[in-house]
Amino acid sequence: MSAFVYVTYIYTTPQKVWDAITKPEFARKYWLHYNVSDWKKGSRWEHQKGDDSGEVMIDGTVLESDPPRKLVTTWTRPDKSKEPSRVTYDIAEYSPGLVCLTVTHDALENDPAMAASVSGGWPKVLSNLKSFLETGKSENIWLTKNKG
Amino acid sequence: MANSSFVYVTYIRAPKQKVWDALTKPEFQKLYWFGGHQESDWKKGSSWKMYMPQHGLTDTGEILESDPPNRAVIKWRNEFRPELKEEGYSRCVYELAQEDDLTKLTILHTIEKENAKLIHAVSGGWPRILSSLQSYLETGRAHGDTRSMAAQAHK
Repeated sequence: MSAFVYVTYIYTTPQKVWDAITKPEFARKYWLHYNVSDWKKGSRWEHQKGDDSGEVMIDGTVLESDPPRKLVTTWTRPDKSKEPSRVTYDIAEYSPGLVCLTVTHDALENDPAMAASVSGGWPKVLSNLKSFLETGKSENIWLTKNKG
Repeated sequence: MANSSFVYVTYIRAPKQKVWDALTKPEFQKLYWFGGHQESDWKKGSSWKMYMPQHGLTDTGEILESDPPNRAVIKWRNEFRPELKEEGYSRCVYELAQEDDLTKLTILHTIEKENAKLIHAVSGGWPRILSSLQSYLETGRAHGDTRSMAAQAHK
């Protein structure tokens, strides 16, 4: 598999989706880890471990940043053992009050293990993001069995 | 044989039985499936028909497997658009697994044809339907706009 695409529709605003992806105080509520960057084009970003150890799980470069509509980053193993893949977040108001979020994780040709891992992980993260934004209930998803 | 497939996984904060009922009972389907509903008794070998409000009968088929509330397999053909109907029968698998207070729902829709138009069409429809299902079960508020859904699902 060279690309993973996931589309979800969320009752919220594009800005809230953007903030949930880019701000650690929101991301930590529904994502196992959280993302740290100033989110400017060319800046570094880090996917830091949710236990506040500062351990970097994934890192990369911000390729495109158009808040709150579009964010593109590389997605790199910290040990640089494989070619980076790429993640694109497209955030669009689909109808009044309903946001369509499309996450495309591509350039995975050279890292099948990463492809398998992210195709299990994204549905869990993005279902939980939807629950978080619509209901405020999102904790504990990562504590269930079959950790994704 | 080459085939086309669409897979979607979602985690819903509801018991597995409630997700199963929402997927299979017309009174629930009408609340989140953009006004559409299906007719079937969900027993192996039974017929299955889907209706959408703007178009009437849109899809038909047969229940190939049924293990409530864990798994169903539907033999599924579009009846509404000639270019989809001519691709013949697809196969749609529903799988439900309880993980603590979450139900993991996996939809796998496949057809034995390369670059199938049916799979392209359902790839647009399933995320809308399953997002609406998740909102309905978690908040009581499904996604509205029946007419644009019917148009979207069958583009």
